Amino acid sequence: MSNNNVKDLITSSETDLLQEIMNIAFGRAASDLAEFIDIFVILSVPQIKLLRAYDLPTYINNEIMDYDQDKVSVVEQSFWGKFKGNAFLVFPSGAGKRMISLFDGRDEFFESDPSHELEKETFLEIGNILIGACIGKLAELLGDVTTYSPPRVMVEKSLHVLYENLLDPDSMAIVLRTVFEFNDKNISGYMFVLTKEESFGWLKNALHKFLEQYDD
Amino acid sequence: MIKKILIVDDSPISVKIISSCIPKDVGYELFDAGDGKVAVEKYMQNKPDLTFMDLTMPVMNGFQALEEIIKYDPKAIVIILTADVQIKAVAKAHELGAFSVLKKPPSKEAILAAIKEADAALASRG
Repeated sequence: MSNNNVKDLITSSETDLLQEIMNIAFGRAASDLAEFIDIFVILSVPQIKLLRAYDLPTYINNEIMDYDQDKVSVVEQSFWGKFKGNAFLVFPSGAGKRMISLFDGRDEFFESDPSHELEKETFLEIGNILIGACIGKLAELLGDVTTYSPPRVMVEKSLHVLYENLLDPDSMAIVLRTVFEFNDKNISGYMFVLTKEESFGWLKNALHKFLEQYDD
Repeated sequence: MIKKILIVDDSPISVKIISSCIPKDVGYELFDAGDGKVAVEKYMQNKPDLTFMDLTMPVMNGFQALEEIIKYDPKAIVIILTADVQIKAVAKAHELGAFSVLKKPPSKEAILAAIKEADAALASRG
């Protein structure tokens, strides 16, 4: 792995285009989710950032200072194609219970509720739809086809577990920060994609090919 | 006949993509705006015949800008360009007076067809 800066790997205009394509992909993901749960998903303007994976913990810790960092929920899914890596969705504490209420309409939960399994299932389902649609659309727009591993989830755990077990420090990270609002329930989340430097080479070419269809 | 076109999108690359789909030989006058608020101002200043409008934007989103533009000019032809193709979002856009809704990224053919439709609508008004 070279010690190139992210800026050396991808230009600012390539980053702008990647941001727009990720916006489109995430918009489609939200549409799929809205169809699945029959609700209206409102998206904030997504922001994209490119980082070395070893800078990701500091970045995420700063970004989610409002979250209890010992109690986050993370859905992770690997994907393979010319563009390959791992996609993660990070949710704050309590997001799972609020998401369950999207399905059954309940806002009140009791300690004795068997909601842990339900929370896990809800994260897996929502994560699978958001990641699948987002990565799938990104791949489709850039002329790739992807396959996925089954999603994995950790519920209400410390972010350190994620950093220790899931992050390959040699990877590059594309962080997509957005806030989704499900009807009247504000559920914020972060999506980030980890990929290797060799996938970046393909990504740059694919971005240029995408733009070629709009050449005058 | 359409002479002036306003393109509203917070992404400069998206503005570039949409502009590139608009034929150069016809001599359309193009304007652009990076958010809904600026879009409303530019609409009032330039009175475009056709507006392409994104939905998810900072400061003022596309729904709000569409509402303001239609309030100012009920005959405005505003085409929503969005990746957010939720049934409820599309229905809301139509409810607020959008002329049509196109999926992002647009193809050149889709933009050309939209301009043709808008032209026909303008012609039918006399």
